[in-house]
Amino acid sequence: MAPLKSLEKEYPLIDSNFQSFCSSHGIFSVEDFLLHDLDALIAFADNHPTSQTLKQGIDQLLSTIDALQPPLLNGLQLLEDAQRNKHVLLTGCERIDALLGGGLREGQLTELVGPSSSGKTQACLLSASTVAKHNSSVIYLDTGNSFSPQRIASFVGQSSGHVFDNQVDHILKKVLDRIICYSVFDVYQMFDVLHQLKSNLRSEIVKSNQHVRLLIVDSISSLITPILGGSGPQGHALMISAGFLLKKLAHENNIAVLVTNHVVGGEDGISKPALGESWKSVPHVRLLFSRDFGSNVCHISVLKHPSMASARAASSTLYL
Amino acid sequence: MEVGMLPISASKRGKLLAAGYTTLDAIARASPTHLARDIDVSDSEASEILSLATKASSALERERPNGTHTAVVGGGQTAWDMLNEEKFSSCITTSCVDLDNILGGGIKCKEVTEIGGVPGIGKTQIGIQLAVNVQIPQEYGGLGGKAIYIDTEGSFMVERVLQIAEACIEDMAEYSHQFHKDFQACDVKVHPNNILENIFYFRVCSYTEQIALINYLDKFIMENKDVKIIIVDSVTFHFRQDFDDMALRTRLLSEMALKLMKLAKKFCLAIVMLNQVTTKYVEGSFQLTLALGNWSHSCTNRIILFWNGNERHAFIDKSPSLKSASAPYSVTTRGIRNSTSSSKRIKMM
Repeated sequence: MAPLKSLEKEYPLIDSNFQSFCSSHGIFSVEDFLLHDLDALIAFADNHPTSQTLKQGIDQLLSTIDALQPPLLNGLQLLEDAQRNKHVLLTGCERIDALLGGGLREGQLTELVGPSSSGKTQACLLSASTVAKHNSSVIYLDTGNSFSPQRIASFVGQSSGHVFDNQVDHILKKVLDRIICYSVFDVYQMFDVLHQLKSNLRSEIVKSNQHVRLLIVDSISSLITPILGGSGPQGHALMISAGFLLKKLAHENNIAVLVTNHVVGGEDGISKPALGESWKSVPHVRLLFSRDFGSNVCHISVLKHPSMASARAASSTLYL
Repeated sequence: MEVGMLPISASKRGKLLAAGYTTLDAIARASPTHLARDIDVSDSEASEILSLATKASSALERERPNGTHTAVVGGGQTAWDMLNEEKFSSCITTSCVDLDNILGGGIKCKEVTEIGGVPGIGKTQIGIQLAVNVQIPQEYGGLGGKAIYIDTEGSFMVERVLQIAEACIEDMAEYSHQFHKDFQACDVKVHPNNILENIFYFRVCSYTEQIALINYLDKFIMENKDVKIIIVDSVTFHFRQDFDDMALRTRLLSEMALKLMKLAKKFCLAIVMLNQVTTKYVEGSFQLTLALGNWSHSCTNRIILFWNGNERHAFIDKSPSLKSASAPYSVTTRGIRNSTSSSKRIKMM
């Protein structure tokens, strides 16, 4: 919370007189103001010679704080919001959609966990191509130079069916134009992009074919692993605030967020998802990917889902 | 908390929070002298923090320009643009046609490729071959670029590089004889010494040297813009033994991987990481996996080299767009070439 004196420029009622009145009660910042007993403060203000302006100042401060709060919603409003706004996005693979209970749900953070080359990036590319084909924008944050427009083109081509050559190109351009890829190589860069996205979406006039419906971060664990652990808790704090920001973006803008994570060795050599115990509770849905060495089949199982039973599994072949 | 997202040191962050500056707005509104006094740092440090905060908060409030724009957020590329760019990017040939075929032309630029295999399979040979092949002039289908070779094990033999360079020049001469019957463009103007000159060799003897070198490469490549490939041989050698703090090792390796990815993307070069293998006991059988396996996510492509009977094979283990396939190759006195048993099937060009 800002110190009170920084509010002076914007809110002239919070002038030096008000500030000195507050400091005489030990209030130096907005946080102190909230913690203080307001009734007692108003009573003191009444006894002050400039009580009118002081009380106006207190009212101003309270209304500013109220305006920053998001509106309260009841259960019925949440249900209406879920039914009306939070659609389900197909991933393009029926088995994965079945495991997810229909597909990627807008407003939820879905995590794909798995060892290297188990099919996570392929699932991300497939979902991006499917969502882009259905007239929505996709934002893809790539940390390992793994975004392959060629692969997306082949996915689009596979499901376009029989069309003439020049039509294929036309469709391909329209679909690929809806997928925007950012190369991010450190966690601060990711925050920059996400903050920009947040403010742009807040102020943007919605055009139906530019509506961002899917945000993919591949992979978030490679951004967070370099800062996790070590001497302080900053890495941890950044990881949790990244999760918080992604979920906020998802809920407020009706976007489905898809992130990938890798595995680390646990006890007895059983691998477990990276990023630790605190990250476990951040995604809404967690899917575990695995692939046998030398085979094209990847096995996917549900680790966590808010509305369906976990430990359900499916296998899917990665076609090339 | 937005202050947590500024790239400043932990102690400065703690001081900012203790003084009540928890949002970027609060910092941006303060003047440098006030900030310096409140958090007890020098004026220059305070203005540095202020500039970071104003940059971050202005990025947040940047207004959209009027009119249509394709990107929702600036700084990204659409997939269509990237697809068109890919058509013009060239690959670095490995001199083995079978291997080039499964790689889709060769080692691609802007990607980090990890090559792993048992000792003696030819990893260093492939590294040296690539360091020579990247210099093939553009008239012969190469990139005409320079190479950086980072040697951690001391396996770089200059005599071998000379051998391979001479063989490469002979091949180029033969190619030009066959295709340019007119005698103007016949003479290959490249001399083996030129090839040796264009390989920048770094020898690192500890992990700190390795990390320092990778940090330095950004500046080095700015000054030597025609570097087109970086070969690290082998990337995990110094991290395998005598590392007490495993968590530190993980952090260092993942940060190094991110830096290499950034270099590859920024300067459009190929990065090849050579890695050793260990065995892993999985479900009743021993499998060969790359050393420090849990780290090995940070590469775009992975190729595993293995023995199949008497033949050397390469297998694509991980790739975003290439099909999983294996191809035989051989190591000859002239470098990496097609496997001799299948040479009868190769058509003469």
